[in-house]
Amino acid sequence: MKRILASVLTALALPGFMPGAIAEPYEDNPSAAASDPDYAAAKAAMEKKNWAEAVKRFHQAALRDPDSADLHNYLGFSYRNLKQMDLALKYYQRSIELNPRHRGAHEYIGEAYLMLNDLPNAEKHLAALRNICLLPCEELDDLEKTVKHYREKRK
Amino acid sequence: MSARPFFTVASVALSTTLLLASGAALSHDDEGKGQLGRVKFSNSCDQKVQPLLETGVAMLHSFWYSAAEKTFRDVLAQDPSCTIANWGVAAILMNNPLAGQGASPKDAAAAQAAIDQGRRVSPKTQRERDYIEAVAAYYQDFSTRGERARQVARAKAFEELAARYPDDDEAQIFCALYIAGTQLQSEQTFSAYLKAAAILEKQFTKYPDHPGVAHYLIHSYDAPPIAEKGLPAARRYATIAPAAPHALHMPSHIFTRVGAWEDSAATNLRSADAAKKSGEPNEAYHASDYAVYAYLQLARDNDAKRTMEDVFKVTNFNAAIRVAPYAMAAMYARYAVERGAWREAMQLQPQPTKFAFVDAITHFARALGAVRSGDTAFAENEAAELARLHKALLDAKDSYWATEVEVQRLAIAGWIALVQGKSDDALKFMRAAADLEDKNEKSIVTPGRVLPARELLGDMLLEMKQPAQALKEYEASHVREPNRFRGYYGAALAAEGAGDRAKAAGYYAKLMELAKKGGSNRPELARARAYVAQR
Repeated sequence: MKRILASVLTALALPGFMPGAIAEPYEDNPSAAASDPDYAAAKAAMEKKNWAEAVKRFHQAALRDPDSADLHNYLGFSYRNLKQMDLALKYYQRSIELNPRHRGAHEYIGEAYLMLNDLPNAEKHLAALRNICLLPCEELDDLEKTVKHYREKRK
Repeated sequence: MSARPFFTVASVALSTTLLLASGAALSHDDEGKGQLGRVKFSNSCDQKVQPLLETGVAMLHSFWYSAAEKTFRDVLAQDPSCTIANWGVAAILMNNPLAGQGASPKDAAAAQAAIDQGRRVSPKTQRERDYIEAVAAYYQDFSTRGERARQVARAKAFEELAARYPDDDEAQIFCALYIAGTQLQSEQTFSAYLKAAAILEKQFTKYPDHPGVAHYLIHSYDAPPIAEKGLPAARRYATIAPAAPHALHMPSHIFTRVGAWEDSAATNLRSADAAKKSGEPNEAYHASDYAVYAYLQLARDNDAKRTMEDVFKVTNFNAAIRVAPYAMAAMYARYAVERGAWREAMQLQPQPTKFAFVDAITHFARALGAVRSGDTAFAENEAAELARLHKALLDAKDSYWATEVEVQRLAIAGWIALVQGKSDDALKFMRAAADLEDKNEKSIVTPGRVLPARELLGDMLLEMKQPAQALKEYEASHVREPNRFRGYYGAALAAEGAGDRAKAAGYYAKLMELAKKGGSNRPELARARAYVAQR
C-alpha cells in the first residue's frame, strides 16, 4: 500500500520524466499526465488520504487522458480506500484492460478480492503476476504474502 | 477561396538572412524545384513575401524547426498582414507530430501569441482564418491537456479543414500528417497510418516533388508489416529536399525496416553532415547512429568507427533530451556487440544520463559481454544495475521503456542461467524476452535494439546444440529485423548444424553479399567463404 504513494513521489522526482521529456507516439507519456493539474491535485489528495477529493480530481483528469492505465489504477485504489469495492474493482479491471502487464493493478485488485473474501479471483491475479514477473518483483512478493496471510487466518 | 491563385512554383527563393540562419547553401536547380521541394500554398499575402513564405511552408514540411520559424517570422516582419505566417509559426512550434513529445510549454506560449496575433490582424480570407483556428485546436487548454488529447483534437480540426476545402491539397496533406500523428502502438493494424497513407498516395501521384507528401508517406509506413510500401517515397524524399537534414535522414526509417543498408548509410551520412553545418547537433547524432547501425550490417567496421569518431567531435548537443545521449550510448554498444567483441562490450564505460533507458543500453552491453566472456559475477552486477533502472522506469510510470529494459533484464538472466547450467530457466527467460519484445514496437529514436532478443534466442539455442530450433528463431527474427549480418550468420550456422546444407550455403552467400564492400576481417566471413568454397 505504501508503495503506490512512494511511486508517485518517485515519478515526480526523477529528472528524466519531468514535463517536457520526450516520449514516443507509441509510448505511454508519463509527462503528459504529470502536466495535468487535476492529475497532480489528485495525487496530492492521495498523499493526504483525502480519497473523495482524489476520486473527483482523477475523474476530471480521465476526461483528458482516458487511456491511462496508471490513472485507472489510482482510481481503483482511491475507491478501495472509500470502501466502494464495486467501483474499485471496475477501475482496477479497466487499468488491466489498458495494460495487461500492469503489476500494481494486478497486486491491488488481488488484495481487493481478498478484502471481499474472494480467494479464487485473488489467485487469478497472483497467477497473472507470476507470468509477468519472471524475475523477482515486489508486486508478486507482496500479493503472495497477503494471500498466504489470508489463508493462515482462514485456517 | 483566396485573394491570390495557387502558386505553381514553389520552391525556394532564399533571402540572405535565411542563408545566414541555416548555414546551408540552398539554391534553385535547373527545374526550379530548389533544395526543399515543390510546394503550392494559396495565400493572400503581399507579392514580395511569396518566395519566403513558400520556403517556410517547404521547411515546415521537412520539420526544419529553427529555420522554418525564423522564415515565417521574417515574412511577418515584411508583411504584418500575412496572417497565414502566424499559422506557420504555430504549426512548426508543435514540434515533430510523429514523435509524441509535442510543444514545450515555452513554445506553446509563443505559438499562442502567434495565433492571437493572427486573430487580431484578422485574416483576409475565410480559409486563412480556418487554418489559424485548426492549429489553435492543438494549443487550446494547453496546460491542462495531455499530448494525446492535443493530438486527437489537432487531427479532428484538420480533418474538418480538409473536408471544408476539398480542392486545397495542402489541407489534405496536413490533415494526413496529423492523422498519422494519432497512431498508437496498441493498435497493431496501423489504421491511422494507413488512413493517412491513403490520402497521401493520391497526392504523391499529383505532386511527386512535394516534400511533405513523400516525408509523411515514410512516417505512415514506418512499421514492419507495411514498411515495403514506403520504399518509393523513401527513395524520392532525399532527392526532393536535399538541404533539409531531416529529409536526408527520414528515408532511412524505411531503409532500416527493409534492410537497405547502403541506402541508409549514404543518406544518413549526408544528413549528419547537413545537420552539423546547420547547427543541429541532435540530428547529427541521430543520423550517425542510423549510419553506424547500417555500416555494421555491411561489416564496414572502419566506416562505422569513423562515423562515430566524427560525430563525437560534436559536443554542443542537448543532453536534456534523449536523442544525442541515446545515440551515443547505442553507437558504443552496437560497435562492440554487433562484431561479437564481448570483452570490448564488457569494458564499455557507463556514462550516466538523465534517462534510465539510455543508461540501460551500456549496462546491457556490459552484462552480455561479461556473460559471453564467462564472467558471471560481473554480469550479475550489471543485471542488478538493469533491475535498478527497470524499477526507476516502472516507478516513473514509463511503461514503454520499462518494457524495453525488462526485455534486456530477461535476456541477461537467461544467459546467466545458461552459464550456470540451468538450461530450462535460460530458455524460459530468453524466450520471454523475445516474446515481450515482439509486442513492443521499436522506438523511432533508434534504428533497432542493441541486439534483437529473438536473434539472441537463436544464439542461445545454438549454444545449447539445438540448431533446428535455433534456425526457426533466426528466421522469425528476419521477418522483423531483415538482412542483419548476425541474423544471417546465426541462421547459416543453425542450418549447417541441422544438416540443411543448401540453406546454410544460401545464408552464407547472403552474408558474403552483405559484406562485399566491407573489407572487414570478421571471422564469420572467413567461415562463410570456406563453406561456400567447399561446395
